[in-house]
Amino acid sequence: MQHYTTSETVDAVVIGTGAGGAPLLARLAAAGLKVVALEAGKHWTPYDDFPTDERAQSKLFWNDERLSAGEDPLPFGNNNSGTGVGGSTLHYTAYTPRVQPDDLRLRSEFSVGEDWPFGFEEIEPYYDEIEHFLGVSGPANYPWGPVRKRQYPLGPLPINAPGQLMERGCRELGIRTSPAANAALSAPYFQEGVGWRQACTNRGFCQAGCNIGAKASMDVTYIPLAIHHGAEVRPESFVTQLVKDASGKISEVIYIRNGQEERQRCRYVFLCAGTVETPRLLLMNGLANTSGQVGRNVMAHTALQIWGEFDEDIRPYKGIPGALISEDTHRPSDQIAGPVDFAGGYLLQSIGVMPLTYLSQMARARGLWGDALKQAATTYNHVAGINILGDCLPYAHNYLELSDEKDVRGLPKPRIYFSNGENEERMTSHANQVMRSIWEAAGAKNLWAFPRNAHVIGTCRMGNDPDRAVVDAEGRSYDIPNLYISDNSTFPSALSVNPALTIMALSLRTADRFLTRSNRLD
Amino acid sequence: MHHHYPEGTVRALLNTDHVTPATRTTLEARLSLHAPYEPQFFTASEYVLLKAVCDRLIPQTGSDTDYINIARGIDERLTRNESNGWRYDSMPPDQDAYQLGLAGLEATAQSRHQQSFLHLPDAQQDDLLRLIQQAEVEGEPWDRLPAERFFEEILAEAVENYYSHPLAQEAIGYVGMADTPAWQRLGLNTLDDREPRPL
Repeated sequence: MQHYTTSETVDAVVIGTGAGGAPLLARLAAAGLKVVALEAGKHWTPYDDFPTDERAQSKLFWNDERLSAGEDPLPFGNNNSGTGVGGSTLHYTAYTPRVQPDDLRLRSEFSVGEDWPFGFEEIEPYYDEIEHFLGVSGPANYPWGPVRKRQYPLGPLPINAPGQLMERGCRELGIRTSPAANAALSAPYFQEGVGWRQACTNRGFCQAGCNIGAKASMDVTYIPLAIHHGAEVRPESFVTQLVKDASGKISEVIYIRNGQEERQRCRYVFLCAGTVETPRLLLMNGLANTSGQVGRNVMAHTALQIWGEFDEDIRPYKGIPGALISEDTHRPSDQIAGPVDFAGGYLLQSIGVMPLTYLSQMARARGLWGDALKQAATTYNHVAGINILGDCLPYAHNYLELSDEKDVRGLPKPRIYFSNGENEERMTSHANQVMRSIWEAAGAKNLWAFPRNAHVIGTCRMGNDPDRAVVDAEGRSYDIPNLYISDNSTFPSALSVNPALTIMALSLRTADRFLTRSNRLD
Repeated sequence: MHHHYPEGTVRALLNTDHVTPATRTTLEARLSLHAPYEPQFFTASEYVLLKAVCDRLIPQTGSDTDYINIARGIDERLTRNESNGWRYDSMPPDQDAYQLGLAGLEATAQSRHQQSFLHLPDAQQDDLLRLIQQAEVEGEPWDRLPAERFFEEILAEAVENYYSHPLAQEAIGYVGMADTPAWQRLGLNTLDDREPRPL
């Protein structure tokens, strides 16, 4: 790997190596720029470092404490956050549906929420490129959204037992299903800068780290590509300050490595630390906030889960967890569950589950303990779930602020307020009815609901109006000309699909726009 | 529906190539935690009380050698002052929450039964825990420690500590750690040979 000295001025510092930082890092390096990525977490060696053990693997989560406030406090840690080279993609489920064009036009369609400053046609070429680079496995004919220019590069992963059950229940109700697109390999795949990656072994452990590189986390895809093109990745480097020079540009990034403060001089900064750490760093430094929008508009997908017990043997630890999808509820018709009284929509997903995740959720949601808990736990091999991921509107009452409480580094802990609004409650109530019907049709007993929100989004909105947005449609700060943001914080609306693929697409788009602009200036 | 699974499944698989070296090291270390444990964070009396609570949250009926020490994991975490990444804003920091909550439990036992929680019969211990779970307790410290949140947090942590232990995993028929070289049979009612059949 290339190493740059802290005394030289590199072209760009990229803060964070997840879905927002890694693709852009590779793109800038491939263009010949001197780039350094600063990553707070470690650079793992998955086979040696990742036991198949949920408790040991909690090291992949961002475990610095965040304060969860509001009516529906958001869990972090194993929900919504990651650390290590690869960021949250180390523990994402690899579910990679594309948005549909109307996801980007919520306000035009429903007069609530926000439109995006560009349309689907701007993102589509990047989806295509990324799916082929990562080796996304998916169906030959996907029933929803615009016609694809190319098929998925690999056929779908095998449908596990929860997927078979969802298929059964949906067929009964006339809801269409499809094998889902997942960024895990259904066959060995050759990848530029990496070589051959091996096929998924159906470990079902995506959310606690893939140990064979079958799942397309950034550490086995865009990061090696970036290094191949000359980027330096500096792990265990926690950024604390962005220093401005007299001209108002950021000239230096200060970070802590091995307990020592280091400084890296640079021409540009790409902040890719995610919906919580990105605004936290800006607020701590009093930067890029002329709009007053930094930290505002926290959104999190509606993500209710319905669990049920079946007579059949399921073994929910096997296979890609989210094997099956339906987007018939993207804009649900009144036939599915009566009149629709909310804006936007959601997707339906079958879910397998690891035991600790399942049992701790069950303990929290059902409040079971004592012998009742132990008996319920013995049904683990017979449980399967369905899940939604749906849009969430931005509200003034949902935001992030710096608290007075300090963390171990002496930095203020972030406090995140989150309460679902009426739209989210109506959507969730609709989904609750739909999922219970599917599970009952599939033969489930003892249904129970796990209320939750997933995929925290927002806090540094992009838009065309500098009074209402932190960055422009390219991801560039309105206040600081050499600062870009590339992560889920810039999403103007939450979308009705998992965000990772779209974060990667925006990352490449930001890199290309930046390179075009720089070439013009040169 | 109750399902019973044979004993010894995970322990046998740990000696095979179906688990990676990293997995084997992690689970064997957890299996070998039998030695008596001296608490580092809690006082001796707090620790005894915490163990008694854990024994009601997840009762264990096996022999002493099979006892899974849930409280030890909590003490170790709090000694290192580690977080799981978030906490309810309405709750005090974890170390304070555990100490306040245990003191509150003991005070509630004294005020209602004029004796220590430790000396109450199981059914009365359970009744007290249920009052805390349902936030039907008042006064110090419950005015600054939401009782239902305290209960939820201790229960979730107890569950994670208990079910991460190979012996508890054997009891629910979980062998997901034996994932090498691959799982071949994923569909309904189809098991790989190494997966245990219910008794």
